[in-house]
Amino acid sequence: MKTVAKFEIGFEQFIDESGKAVQKLPKFADKPAELIKMYRMMTLTRLFDTRAIALQRTGKLGTYASSLGHEAIHVGIGAAMKEEDVLAPMYREYGAQFWRGVKPSEVLLYWGGDERGSDFSGPAHDFAWCVPIATQCLHGAGAAMAFKLRKEKRCAVAVVGDGGTSEGDFYEAINAAGAFQLPIVFVVSNNQWAISVPLAQQTACETLAQKALAGGFEGTQVDGNDIVAVRNAMENALAKARKGGGPTLIEALTYRLSDHTTADDATRYRPNDEVEAAEKKEPLLRLRQYLTALGEWDDDKEKALIDECKQQVADAVKEYENTPKPSLESMFDYMYAELPEALEEQRAAALAAGETESAHG
Amino acid sequence: MKTFNLPDLGEGLPEAEIVKWHVKEGDTIEADAPLASVETAKAVVDVPSPYSGKIAKLYAGEGDIVETHKPLVDFDLGDGEAAAADQNETAKEAPPEKASDAVREDSGTVVGQMMSSDEVLEETAVVRKKKHQKAAARPKAAPAVRALAKKQGVNLNQIEGTGKNGLITADDVQRHMQSGQAAPAAAGTGARAAAPQPHKLPAGGIKEQLRGPRRAMAQSMSRSRDEVMPCTLFDDADINDWLPGQDITARVIRGIVAGCHAEPGLNGFFDGASLTRQIMTRIDVAMAVDTPDGLIVPVLRDVGNKDGAALRFALNQLKEATRNRTVAPEDMRDYTIMLSNFGMLAGRYATPVIVPPAVAIIGTGGIQHDVVPVMGGIEVHKRIPLSLTFDHRCITGGEACRFFGAMIKDLRRAQ
Amino acid sequence: MAKITLIEAVTMAMAYELEHDDSVVVFGEDVGPNGGVFRATAGLQERFGKERVFDTPLAESMIAGLAVGMSAQGMKPIGEIQFSGFAYPAFDQLISHAARMRHRTRGRLHCPMVIRAPSGGGIHAPEHHSESMEAIYAHTPGLRCVMPSSPARAYGLLLASIRDPDPVVFLEPKRIYRLVKQEVPDNGDALPLDTCFVLREGEDVTMVTWGAMVHETLKAAEAMAKEGVSCEVIDLATISPIDYETILESVEKTGRLVVVHEAPRNVGVGAEIAAEVAEKAIYSLLAPIQRVTGYDTVMPLFRREMDYLPSTARVVAAVKKTLED
Repeated sequence: MKTVAKFEIGFEQFIDESGKAVQKLPKFADKPAELIKMYRMMTLTRLFDTRAIALQRTGKLGTYASSLGHEAIHVGIGAAMKEEDVLAPMYREYGAQFWRGVKPSEVLLYWGGDERGSDFSGPAHDFAWCVPIATQCLHGAGAAMAFKLRKEKRCAVAVVGDGGTSEGDFYEAINAAGAFQLPIVFVVSNNQWAISVPLAQQTACETLAQKALAGGFEGTQVDGNDIVAVRNAMENALAKARKGGGPTLIEALTYRLSDHTTADDATRYRPNDEVEAAEKKEPLLRLRQYLTALGEWDDDKEKALIDECKQQVADAVKEYENTPKPSLESMFDYMYAELPEALEEQRAAALAAGETESAHG
Repeated sequence: MKTFNLPDLGEGLPEAEIVKWHVKEGDTIEADAPLASVETAKAVVDVPSPYSGKIAKLYAGEGDIVETHKPLVDFDLGDGEAAAADQNETAKEAPPEKASDAVREDSGTVVGQMMSSDEVLEETAVVRKKKHQKAAARPKAAPAVRALAKKQGVNLNQIEGTGKNGLITADDVQRHMQSGQAAPAAAGTGARAAAPQPHKLPAGGIKEQLRGPRRAMAQSMSRSRDEVMPCTLFDDADINDWLPGQDITARVIRGIVAGCHAEPGLNGFFDGASLTRQIMTRIDVAMAVDTPDGLIVPVLRDVGNKDGAALRFALNQLKEATRNRTVAPEDMRDYTIMLSNFGMLAGRYATPVIVPPAVAIIGTGGIQHDVVPVMGGIEVHKRIPLSLTFDHRCITGGEACRFFGAMIKDLRRAQ
Repeated sequence: MAKITLIEAVTMAMAYELEHDDSVVVFGEDVGPNGGVFRATAGLQERFGKERVFDTPLAESMIAGLAVGMSAQGMKPIGEIQFSGFAYPAFDQLISHAARMRHRTRGRLHCPMVIRAPSGGGIHAPEHHSESMEAIYAHTPGLRCVMPSSPARAYGLLLASIRDPDPVVFLEPKRIYRLVKQEVPDNGDALPLDTCFVLREGEDVTMVTWGAMVHETLKAAEAMAKEGVSCEVIDLATISPIDYETILESVEKTGRLVVVHEAPRNVGVGAEIAAEVAEKAIYSLLAPIQRVTGYDTVMPLFRREMDYLPSTARVVAAVKKTLED
């Protein structure tokens, strides 16, 4: 039998888990200021995350999906994208969104049970958080289709988890992106766990990047704890897409250091030593070590950064907590461009019934 | 012989063109072998032979257009085969509504068969929303009340509901049944009106149980309130042109006659229970007369056929009888329209009250000297203020206005 | 003026909007050179090019999901689902996203998209091709569901659906795609959504129906007229949100209501109409409301499908039932 097609999946890393460069860094990493900017956003994201969990644990926030451990992927995505590009996130890409202008208080509003969180300050064309797994991949593809048809030099980025790559919508999006040669980058944020199901039970594939091959385009793997690798792969993929080169899938390997959400308890299904091992590879630590080795970072700077970020988070929490409930009628007022008559009566009835006493406030 | 009609190729197109015959007359063909290539507007389709047999006749030439369901080919089948073919035919399921011979899948749909026709749809599609053109609403009643009415044989159209928004209640139905059993004809007893709730009156003063005309007035006015939908028009009749010696009351009655001729509907009765009105040709005017004992309403008969002198004579007789309290009861009944000359006492306009089953009442105010603008200046004219109340349940505003207009026009005449 | 069929009216509406609005695109399975399996897109790719009218891979969720993404970014996509029975994989996109986008982003993003799908039975089709599932869309807050019953309404309502700033599921009764022809001017005039059309005025019985069943219902009304019963026939047209004003006004006049639909009876749109009339106009009702519907069975294959679909005789029987004393 002759071979009709052959495929390879590459893996890229620039800074290893001990903070050492394993190859020459890409150009954007030449400037320490740029690396510090990314480190700053990763730190803000982590401190925000810690605070959000604390808010949930004290009854001040609803269920919250932590981004702990994913900061390099998320901030790397944000740093590589242009404002006019469109982000179709899943539901924990806060680092990317903060970079794009979404306010931490808006993330809190969303998880605090208020739709106004999704009317956020980032680019108005960005999609909101997407809970039905992998459905956002098609929104990204649709956006990319719009850009392609309108001949705009814009790209879409859709983020999906390892579990999401088992969904039909993921495959349909991959296939459509390939078939239409859409300007889109799929980022598979492979954190090894889909709630309680480990990757080995999710798929028999050696990599998730190879799923791109089914769509007829390039899939590549990067160290998702190495923000330089993530951003580099993103920038390359976006540049290719912008030039009409079609889609790319980037599988970013990381580890979910938190529970799936605050409603989950990962100790029920996940060995502790696995988590401890993963913690040693986490993304902030290695970039800090790299910057420290460069002489660009020290404990004082670290402390100052943490204080600054904590203040920023505290301000966000205050803003969130000071936001009054959405109006009762807002339940009706965004259903359609114009309220249908059939709903007018229900709206009036809801207003007449008034607010229901609730333990959730 | 078996005729094969051009099948509905499923595309819903009414015809097809024969592009090519794969057989000629006299050929023998096996079932399912290609018979012809036909072209619809959308595709060229091979039509296979439905039978095995000999081609007896081709109904069209290449390039010809054949209508769907019209003969395409005649087959000459062997005896045995014909039976088999027929059997096949009957075993086939007829597609919905139109029979069509089975052919390969068409191009108008990937599945099934499309019904089609050249029938032209003529329709009116009216958007009614927003217009709020309320149609005459039916009487409203709860299903249980309807069931009760049905059981008791009561027509809900004859009941006015006392519930919210005119809803007919079970009590209404019961009351209607009771009143109906008591005296369907005695519509004048006020039986339908709900009994007034007693008031707790303060001590002192002089208590008097109403009797006689005043009692009758209380009853008839309550009844009027309960039944009639009154609507009142006001105007003045300018009598500046009157020649001397005109008999005012006689002229007013003549005016009423003129009004009745213009709109006979105001001269008659209305039965709200059966929603029936009765228009009378004879005009019998009731004259409301104030007496110490209360209101007396003697009737002036057939005023339409009385001249001025005859009217005056009759009026004088009435006055006399009223003063003497000798008006016979039958002379205070069955009037067809009423006149109240309240202006003799005081007052200019009023909303005179109809006593059902009558449908109209005219009130005359005191004659006034009015400043009237005329062409070129101002003059002072004598005018009679008039008020007309009509029952809007059975008389339209237009009818009332035309009546009133004719009456005023007649009153303006010099004599 | 040309006399055209319902499906030609669908094509004409899309062509008009492709011509006049650059943001409109048409896509789906086989909609390109083949012109769609029912020919709804016939000639459109040839006329407007492959960037405006294009074939997609065979994936219904993808069709709906692309429409969500494109419409959220300012386009007006018209996605064709080949048969409404194949729309189920697209439900997640329609229900979880298209219907919710405006609400969940407080109006920041919205989905001016149309999903067209041939619907209903009676064309002798194979399994899965004949069901009527409009109630599912009607049950989804945020969606509009529209079903035309004549060429004129197919044209006017599809134009309105494309122009509507919110998502519309446009179900086309394929049994009457080519049943009759009608003069329809290609003038770009849309018809109002959320509005019933009164097709026949009457005094005694109100009949509410939609889609292909309009034809059976009109036939039944004609038959009843011969018996001296005057039926008012209302084409619901927009299945959701419903124009109750027209229905209630009519029922207050006639006192009787018969709802006719092809879809199963249980939790069907007819049940909703009956409930609303019971809540708002029960005091005007002279007889119990009647529903004539498909049965609560799996839609039979075509040897029995016509026995499943409400027939004129069944509609007539229901009207007579409202007139029983």
